[in-house]
Amino acid sequence: MTSTEPLAPVTAKDVPLLRVEGLRTEFRLRNGGVKAVNDVSFDIYPGDVLGIVGESGSGKSVTARSIMRMLRPPGEVVAGSVRLGGEDLLALPEREMRRRRGSKVAMVFQDPQAALNPVMKVGDQIAEAMTLHGVDRQTARRRAIELLDQVGIPDVRTKIDHYPHQFSGGMRQRVVIAIALANDPALLIADEPTTALDVTIQAQILRLLARLRTELGIAIAIITHDMGVVAELCTDVVVMYGGRTVEKGTVEQVFEQPRHPYTAALLAAMPRLDDDRIGQPLPAIPGAPPDPAAPPPGCPFAPRCRFTEDVCEHEPPELLQIGTDGQSAACFVAQRATTDVSVRDPEPAPADISVHAAPEAAVADATTPVLEVRDLRIDVGSRRRGLFHRDPPVYAVDSVSLSVHAGRTLGLVGESGCGKSTLSRSIVGINRVSGGSVLVDGADVSTMGQADLGRVRSSVQYLFQDPYASLNPRRTIRQSLSEALAFRGVGRREREEAARSLMEQVGLRAEHLDRYPHAFSGGQRQRIGIARALARQPRALILDEPVSALDMSIQAQIINLLEQLQNELGLGYLFIAHDLSVVRHLSDTVAVMYLGRIVEYGDAADVYGNPQHPYTAALMSSSPVPSVSARTRERIVLPGDLPSPANPPSGCRFRTRCPIGPLVNPERTICTEIDPQLTLTATGQRAACHFADNGKETE
Amino acid sequence: MADIPLEGGIPRARRLNPTLARYLSAFRTPKGVIGLSILAVMSLAALLAPVLFPGGYDEQGREALTGISAGHIFGVDEFGRDIFVRSVYGLRIDLSLIFTAVPLSMAIGVLLGLSGALSEHLGSAVQRLLDVIIGFPGLILGICLVAILGPGWPALFLTILISGLPTAGRLARGAWLAQQSREYVLAARVLGVSRPQLLVRHVLPNAMDSAVVNAAVWMVVGVYIEAGLSIVGLGVQPPTPSLGVLLNNGLRFVTQSPTYIVGPALLLLLVAVGFSLVSDALNEAVNRR
Amino acid sequence: MVRFLIRKLPSLVFVLLASSIVAFALPRLAPGDVAVTLAGADPTAANIAAIRQQLGLDRPLVIQYADWMAGLLQGDLGQSYLLRRSVASLIGDRLGSTVELAALATLLVIAIGTALGVVVGSVRSGWARAGLDLVNSVLVAVPSFVTGLGLILVFGVLNRWLPVSGEVAFLDNPVIGFQFLILPAIALALPPAAVVARLLQAEMLVARNEDYVDLALSKGASGARITIRHVLRNSVGTAVVAVGLQVGNLLAGAVIIEAIFNRNGLGQLAVSSVQTRDFTVLQVLILAVVFVAVICQILTEMILAALDPRITLGA
Repeated sequence: MTSTEPLAPVTAKDVPLLRVEGLRTEFRLRNGGVKAVNDVSFDIYPGDVLGIVGESGSGKSVTARSIMRMLRPPGEVVAGSVRLGGEDLLALPEREMRRRRGSKVAMVFQDPQAALNPVMKVGDQIAEAMTLHGVDRQTARRRAIELLDQVGIPDVRTKIDHYPHQFSGGMRQRVVIAIALANDPALLIADEPTTALDVTIQAQILRLLARLRTELGIAIAIITHDMGVVAELCTDVVVMYGGRTVEKGTVEQVFEQPRHPYTAALLAAMPRLDDDRIGQPLPAIPGAPPDPAAPPPGCPFAPRCRFTEDVCEHEPPELLQIGTDGQSAACFVAQRATTDVSVRDPEPAPADISVHAAPEAAVADATTPVLEVRDLRIDVGSRRRGLFHRDPPVYAVDSVSLSVHAGRTLGLVGESGCGKSTLSRSIVGINRVSGGSVLVDGADVSTMGQADLGRVRSSVQYLFQDPYASLNPRRTIRQSLSEALAFRGVGRREREEAARSLMEQVGLRAEHLDRYPHAFSGGQRQRIGIARALARQPRALILDEPVSALDMSIQAQIINLLEQLQNELGLGYLFIAHDLSVVRHLSDTVAVMYLGRIVEYGDAADVYGNPQHPYTAALMSSSPVPSVSARTRERIVLPGDLPSPANPPSGCRFRTRCPIGPLVNPERTICTEIDPQLTLTATGQRAACHFADNGKETE
Repeated sequence: MADIPLEGGIPRARRLNPTLARYLSAFRTPKGVIGLSILAVMSLAALLAPVLFPGGYDEQGREALTGISAGHIFGVDEFGRDIFVRSVYGLRIDLSLIFTAVPLSMAIGVLLGLSGALSEHLGSAVQRLLDVIIGFPGLILGICLVAILGPGWPALFLTILISGLPTAGRLARGAWLAQQSREYVLAARVLGVSRPQLLVRHVLPNAMDSAVVNAAVWMVVGVYIEAGLSIVGLGVQPPTPSLGVLLNNGLRFVTQSPTYIVGPALLLLLVAVGFSLVSDALNEAVNRR
Repeated sequence: MVRFLIRKLPSLVFVLLASSIVAFALPRLAPGDVAVTLAGADPTAANIAAIRQQLGLDRPLVIQYADWMAGLLQGDLGQSYLLRRSVASLIGDRLGSTVELAALATLLVIAIGTALGVVVGSVRSGWARAGLDLVNSVLVAVPSFVTGLGLILVFGVLNRWLPVSGEVAFLDNPVIGFQFLILPAIALALPPAAVVARLLQAEMLVARNEDYVDLALSKGASGARITIRHVLRNSVGTAVVAVGLQVGNLLAGAVIIEAIFNRNGLGQLAVSSVQTRDFTVLQVLILAVVFVAVICQILTEMILAALDPRITLGA
């Protein structure tokens, strides 16, 4: 458990390994071409780790596929060159290109669940990468064993003959990386390699990539939307927006002194783990990223930029060097070098989101929680009852107690599979409760009979993660809101007025009530989802990952809206997320969940400041931080994967991955024998660990 | 700090129910237009047969089993009757069968399929029963029903009706199962929408898509079931003509008058082509984004 | 494997049981009385009662059903009252004819279906794909009896190339037998083959868009290799399921095809027993169809499990 190695250049920067120049890729559709990548240029030198960062639709993945010449029709490179070691890949015949793929340049994909052929043994899939390039079978298999070992797969000799479904997500990604490394390529292109993975698994994979770079001297281009991953892993960065490169430089340059207003605004708008802006609105970027099918004529960022001038709206700025140290930006304003584009001194918060102290009403009855669960257990086992046997119960949530107070936010943090969504869904009656109780305003509603459900639904509403899936595509916004208003007992005539004011409350135009969901962007849809939840005038809202499906530049808008609504209406929030920084920004209290249990629970400042449970500490240190200074911090990388809730470990559920438990200290047998309970710690929060105070002495 | 409203790109909201609008858009594509035209001409001819051919389907001429001629574009049969006239009258039987049996079958099938939305147990019990029907392919089911009811319109009607149930039911159940965990259905439940309301407002419109496409497909299957049973002699009984009966007769005289079966067979295929085009057009329309 | 069969057993037994009840109920739902028919032109009440007693029709329905089922399970398929022969011998005489037709047709379905599906699923050129797609659509839409009629016209009436009426057992004389067999088998096989091709093609299209195809491409694999090793290998399960599902349709289609080509198989036996209301024969035939369909279903699942490591029959 050591920190990552310093990211010094491995070799001198003399000849670029890969030089992309003036790359343009279009998707030719019946109604004209969509310019997905528009004049993109960058270099990768041997041993570099280049981050290509951007939001959805920025063209970053298309750029990667253009380099590999793996575009799906109707995508087509229309201009530019991609030189690998002096040879233009775009000019090669397909047969020659095929020889380069996998041997000179290799690729790692986003979703390890989908990237491996499900009916082929992993060993054969690795060997295929070599036999295709002329290696004989025996040698290929021997090398496959070596590779699996190198990427950290335990017990290689049996695992090599397993099928992909027998591996966990993180292990599969290691296999994909092994395939990519098979022929010692000079360049590895990784397209969102950790996006589909949990934070602790992401940390494992990032560490593996960093190690490969230092051990093998391989150059890596990593495509990501996560600024934190870039800061953590990369030496250089290319920021893309609307199909164009807007900024380019070393990681130190871009993160410490962003030159393009987009980069600057984005970095400023992101909530951070060590945020000192609690209770203040984030400096959100207004508007939404451009539609690739209808890009603005000038600078793609001009409609959202606070420095926009006349010229920005008419012609796109070129990417030019700013200063003398190689950093460049495509911005007329920055190129004049008279304006500092950074958002150091926060712009004055607009009046409509100014934040007041919590209203008196909310504080007054803060004694009875609006929402409380006590010793909740939820069985998610298949309820299949055969003739001869009955499946044992699987408790996705096991003895969990929480309370949400009016005007306050409880953040619930945990990785996928920890039971946080199951818990929240059972509160509103979607999943069945099998033990313990749910209390709404002090009244027990655990049985979820008709009367109970009525009480729950008038007091507690739910905001879903995916704004595209949570609105019925066939119903207008008015129909969706009216349905909700009708349940509150709003008469037909008053509904119009109520619907209009709801729209305004969430920052949308009342004239758009008759539109269908497809006419709205992701951020706008999430606002509609909020409006629908508010229509029932709830006292508490359950927010299930409400911003994780949104683009980075939109997240801050929704976070601000949620905060503003809480202050105006005194709502209690149960905020569920895997992103620790977002939770930090919004929450007053935090609960950390692992394998169906709360392992740490307390004041947000305490939990983040002094994590007492080793799992919390590991989560904190695994979360990538979008700042260069965070690179030197100590990193705890947890081994292994989340165990199955069907068969939880005895004693402490975390002991199989714990950095201070019996794995490292065999004398701590208590962890395997006794299930630790949440107990008060010295720093004020409660933690379920026999050695809580040792949590930070991890090494 | 609202998103900047995207003024240009948003299509104006249409007042027409989007589900209906989508189905209607199918008939603006070439496939839809051609298919619908074929079916319209056929239905009109069948409907107006007594007006167009007041002599009825039994009018006999002097010659028998002549081939195609100017006066008889499909030729004449063994009793000197005009095969074209008999074919148009035959269409009446076929179209009356499918236009009654298929919609009824789809409606019942969809209701059975959605019964799972009201109660899980009911749903799986219904599914079990539908599975038993699947064990009997259309024609085998027809043989059973003819054995009970004797050959004729009622047996054909019931065969088409019952054999359509499993597919319609399975599609509807599939639509429900797919949607039951969709977030917008969950969101409606959290608001307090009851199960029947959920079904009508949120599930049925989506289940309708597959049901409508399937209905068009099943129209063809219905015609084939009629023809198949009639060819083996278990359909409507002579002298009443149906397309299948004409094929049966034509086959008997295939050596004497090879063209006998050609006309009815072409007409049968034309009906199939019409419905296939319409179902294709509908399918493309409902899957269009 | 054994566990799979045990787990599958209840639902299979249910389908067979339900079908047997349907089959049992047939003569009892139909109007008319076997005993009256058998008693001849001028029956007396005593005569009818005697026949009823002789056939066991005077006993409670449950007993009759149990008796009938017990007989079936012991291999006693009953007697045809009209033809005064055992059902077993009636079926035995015609089994060969239907089996050879169904077997050849199934082989053709597999061969034509996969070949057409793979070709349409991997052709790059837009025109070729559209053309093959059209051919496929026509094959799906044209029913086997129309194909059969067309084949008779072309090969038997307009040209006298092949026999189109009657049959010679394949085992007695393979050459002549095959000549009689090939046209009906083609007619019977084409529509199901087109359905199989269409499903396979659609599945290949889906598989082609999977990430693992991209991974194979990024390894440097050629188009042909990707099609065979990665795309087809992952789509072939669909073809197996499709063939399994088409067996029922094949048997039903055989009834018509036998009529058209004047083959004396089980289909003709079924039709004639409906026309003469000879229910004992019909009951057994119906149960046999369902039984074959059930066997096919089990076979399908076993092949699927062998093809896909994610499916285990035990669990």
